[in-house]
Amino acid sequence: MPNIFPKSANLVPLKAAVAMGLMAASAVAGVTYYFTQEYTRAGYMPIQPAPFSHKLHVGDLGMDCRYCHNAVEVSAHSNIPTTESCMACHTQIRPDSPKLAPVRKSWQSGLPIEWVRIHKAPDYVYFNHAVHVARGVSCVSCHGPVDRMEEVWQDKSQSMSWCLDCHRAPESALRPLQEVYQMDWTAGAGQQELGKKLKEAWEVQPSTNCGACHR
Amino acid sequence: MKSHRHHPPRDRVPTHWRSLRDRTNDPEFLGSLETEFSPGASVGEPPGLSKRAFLKLMGASIALAGVGLTGCRRPLAQLVPFTKGAEWTLPGKFLYYATSMPTRWGAMPLIASTSDGRPTKLEGNPLHPVSNGGTDSFAQAAILDLYDPGRAREFRENGKITDAQAFTAFLRNLNQTGGKGLAFLVEKTNSPTRDRLRTELERNFPGLLWAEFEPLGDTEAVQATEAAFGTGTRLVPKFERADVILALDSDFLNPIESGIGYAAGFATRRNPDQGGAPMNRLYVVENHFTLTGGMADHRLRCRVSDMANFVWHLGRIVAERTSDPALATVLGAFPTLGNTKLDEAWIEACAKDLLANPTRSLVLAGPQAPAPIHAVVHAINSALGNLGTTVLGVEDPSPRSATITELAAAVSAGSVRTLFILGGNPAFNAPADLDFPALLKSVPKIVKLGLFDDETSRLAHWQIPAAHFLEAWGDVRAANGTYSAIQPMILPLWGGWSELDLLAGLLGYPAEEGPSLVRTTMEALAPAALLDQVGGPDQLWNNFLRVGFLPGTEFLPKDLECSTASAGKIAGSLLPEKPGLELVFLQSSSVDDGRHANNSWLLETPDFVTKLTWDNALLVSPATAARLGISPTDGFDPVADLVEVSDGIRTITAAAMVAPGHADDSLSIALGFGHTEAPAFVENVGFNAYPLRTAGSPRIAGGVTVQVTGRKYPLALTQEHHAMEGRDLVREGTLAQYHKTPNFAESTGHAASANAALYTHPPLTAAEQWGMTVDLNTCTGCNACVVACQSENNVPVVGKAQVRRNRDMAWIRIDRYFSGTPENPTMLPQAVMCQHCENAPCEPVCPVNATVHSEDGLNVMAYNRCIGTRYCANNCPWKVRRFNYFDYNQRPLDELYIGPLAKKGMADTLQMAKNPNVTVRMRGVMEKCTFCIQRIEEAKIGRLVAAGPTPKSATPISPFKVACQQACPNESLVFGDIADSKSRVARLRQSPRGYTMFDFLNVAPRVTYLVRVRNPNPALAAQPPPIGDAH
Repeated sequence: MPNIFPKSANLVPLKAAVAMGLMAASAVAGVTYYFTQEYTRAGYMPIQPAPFSHKLHVGDLGMDCRYCHNAVEVSAHSNIPTTESCMACHTQIRPDSPKLAPVRKSWQSGLPIEWVRIHKAPDYVYFNHAVHVARGVSCVSCHGPVDRMEEVWQDKSQSMSWCLDCHRAPESALRPLQEVYQMDWTAGAGQQELGKKLKEAWEVQPSTNCGACHR
Repeated sequence: MKSHRHHPPRDRVPTHWRSLRDRTNDPEFLGSLETEFSPGASVGEPPGLSKRAFLKLMGASIALAGVGLTGCRRPLAQLVPFTKGAEWTLPGKFLYYATSMPTRWGAMPLIASTSDGRPTKLEGNPLHPVSNGGTDSFAQAAILDLYDPGRAREFRENGKITDAQAFTAFLRNLNQTGGKGLAFLVEKTNSPTRDRLRTELERNFPGLLWAEFEPLGDTEAVQATEAAFGTGTRLVPKFERADVILALDSDFLNPIESGIGYAAGFATRRNPDQGGAPMNRLYVVENHFTLTGGMADHRLRCRVSDMANFVWHLGRIVAERTSDPALATVLGAFPTLGNTKLDEAWIEACAKDLLANPTRSLVLAGPQAPAPIHAVVHAINSALGNLGTTVLGVEDPSPRSATITELAAAVSAGSVRTLFILGGNPAFNAPADLDFPALLKSVPKIVKLGLFDDETSRLAHWQIPAAHFLEAWGDVRAANGTYSAIQPMILPLWGGWSELDLLAGLLGYPAEEGPSLVRTTMEALAPAALLDQVGGPDQLWNNFLRVGFLPGTEFLPKDLECSTASAGKIAGSLLPEKPGLELVFLQSSSVDDGRHANNSWLLETPDFVTKLTWDNALLVSPATAARLGISPTDGFDPVADLVEVSDGIRTITAAAMVAPGHADDSLSIALGFGHTEAPAFVENVGFNAYPLRTAGSPRIAGGVTVQVTGRKYPLALTQEHHAMEGRDLVREGTLAQYHKTPNFAESTGHAASANAALYTHPPLTAAEQWGMTVDLNTCTGCNACVVACQSENNVPVVGKAQVRRNRDMAWIRIDRYFSGTPENPTMLPQAVMCQHCENAPCEPVCPVNATVHSEDGLNVMAYNRCIGTRYCANNCPWKVRRFNYFDYNQRPLDELYIGPLAKKGMADTLQMAKNPNVTVRMRGVMEKCTFCIQRIEEAKIGRLVAAGPTPKSATPISPFKVACQQACPNESLVFGDIADSKSRVARLRQSPRGYTMFDFLNVAPRVTYLVRVRNPNPALAAQPPPIGDAH
């Protein structure tokens, strides 16, 4: 009986297996990359129009977050500072630095600097900064070590399950109010104990209901 | 025990009905109540586009969308801060300013909420002496007028686009050449600064003619009042002091007719539980059903032509019993009236009731009623001793103006060379016999300042875009004379000018953006004592802007004494009645006199009584309709007969609608619809009735004839929409019944099941539990809450075709029920919003948990979870859930059916009108009343921020109001924490008048209704007291 298949056909099952493996791997990689919060969000670090360094201003110089983000304690939004805020110092300090050229240009033309947005909750999510900082949730908890960021990146996935992790167990994030803006402060191993104490004393009961964020 | 969760069989005619089909248990209507969705609502075939073609198009666009996975990555977004910080402005926080909306009867004091420099919501200013914080529907909709993409945008000279500089040059030239033959036609805005500039103009331009025209003004009423009480006198009715009120052709409870003060004063005497002053009694004489007629304890259907007859009869009885010589003299001057078909027993009983309450009664005629009727009414009030008690007088110092008739005469005589038309649309709404469009053609130069490119603009040589009242500095005197501020919330979107800008330009003042003109007026008007008290002119100005008014600037009170001779002269000027049918002109609930003809919020809000949207119609009584051969307009696909109405000279065509409770041999039609020649307005909306309105008889056209054409016209009628099936939805009784059995409302309901609830909810653990009460005793059905909700919650407009398919989106609707015979029923409105049932039937049927219960008792909607099965809407007994069948926000309403082929996107200015704190919903998503969860969360967050590092429970939530409650001028809607026994809502829920709908379902709604209690006169054989048995 003649051979129906040529000898090269012996490799077909192997080839098919490899091809299927590759396809499966690329499907997994594609879905992971395109559809999951961890990859679409966390680590996002666009280049900003002006090379503002949080490391320099916050980490090295020790400026308070609220000098620039002054609405954070009263408003839902933590505002991006006006050009005027930058110029309050930089008319005196390094007024001719080439890095500040976009800021000076904005100041002269009156046109705002268009910063690239990094943290973006969907339109149907109503996050409120004021209530979190007023009740002992630090900037670090959501934004990561900003005091060490030359260029700001998104540190956490900020997905809904990530929000709920904390709303279900706020003790893992609560800290005394005077430490909320201290980026390098940590309770270390005592966090759970401290958090439970504060939660009880302040009656912290974060809502896990849809209506708390979706309106 | 067997549970009773089924609706009791509908074996008899309901006492309260929504439509004639409902009343007669029409099988088609009953059948429709049983279907899963309203007929037509779930039908989706696009007209003119087959399903096959549609799928082909959809397939192509899906294939295109799949190219690349670009849609899965986040788009690059920018954050754009201010360059320089603006004072007080913080991103994400509302800023509030006190301002006012000028109206023909005074001003609506407002608080404007602005977000990032754009106004998004208007609410009443409770600090203002004429306001309790409520508004009307027009004030709520003013935001949409501001952002209307159809507004006039360009300065035009002879049709060619030019700019403000060219117009300034034109004004300067006019100023320097002396401006011979200068005339102005203005609207009534009650602005003292305008009056001041006018005086200066009259000094600079001798012979200047200043005419004022309001199609729905109160010229006749003012004429009679000034004749009776002296020039400059204005009357102030005091409803809170009146025990017995008779309203003649007057819709005084409707805030769009006379402001919010009247209804609020009336409501204070409408609570049967209050101690001290007794509940008042209201008699209403009118030809068509109004809100006031719906509130009446006794209502007499009466043709407007017969009103003179009525007051004559009434006056005669009062004159006899009081032996008042003045009244006898005035009546004597009245022309002899012929036959009467009036109900004399009714008049007798009403007169006796008035006579039994001297100094505590009040007779009132509407602002549109002819002057002779007003003259007799003044004499009757005088005879009853009401002057100085329930009717007060004040002195209005505003200058006199010429009428439009005098202006027309001047134009005919050729003495007008340049005519400034500031606001208004006389080419559309001036009396037909003046033939204004033709007159305008003979004026050499016309300057038209207006918000819209309307019929008059087309005839003008200069078209100037006007600034909206939220864009310009101004001032206004409120109804009681209080000097009030108009502040700009935003720079003019299209560079428009205010009236004051134009007048100042003509006077040669330099152009400026600031308030110096208004400030000068304010300083002149401020009482000297106030200036000393606050410490200086700057503080005075700042206080004025902060609270929005200047205290102590009310009109001065004036003693009233009825001058018999001149009142008699006015009474003697009564026009003889023309035989045959009369046509009565009404103020429209949606477009006013035509000025809101492009406001889709108002157009889609159903009329108070007819429940008609997007159109007006000729209203006819059932008997007259039968006589004229007009068929009833009912059903889910309502079509009306088109009829021609003619006064012998001019003819209009209109759709005719049978209106229960309308007077026989009388027709009514709302004005302001049917703009045909103005591109700025929505096309093909309604019918223009102005061609039959003449200068001599603005209220009615007598002796008209009606011809049924045989053609049909589709109407978008919502009276049968969202009909609820179940007993005792709306309940009412009499005061006597209430005194006998205070909780009669509760006990008349179908008994609640003793069994456990069918549905469960998560534990209601929060300290605050939200709930609401709706007082049917003070709710007139004025639509203020409906439009307020639309503005607050970004509720979309769906258009006439979609409304006809039961797809109207309003989160709060006002069901209007009639009771009694179709000829002469009573009326009762009922506001229905999501009832936030504790055991909500909508929740367990959702397959994706998109609607769930919160711990504070709210039934919440997570839009991003909703997949649009509509099971929840089907399971809702109240029919309050609304589905986005299309992407109403993103697609043009006339291109909904071509899907992705339609233009996508929302006009920039309409985006600016949206409330930033509420999600804008997309296609395929269910939505409904949220109890304004954004305001609740804002209040809860405010409490937590204030609490800081202290226990939450130690800091109370600061008081707030939800949007509908805030807008209600009568405080009929009360929202709050029902767990707090001291809160107003908790106390009202315990009222013996309280009841909930659908008790037998055991769903525990959070909305409690307080039963309507009427106060009929025992001497009048009232209709058998209805209790409530709708369906």
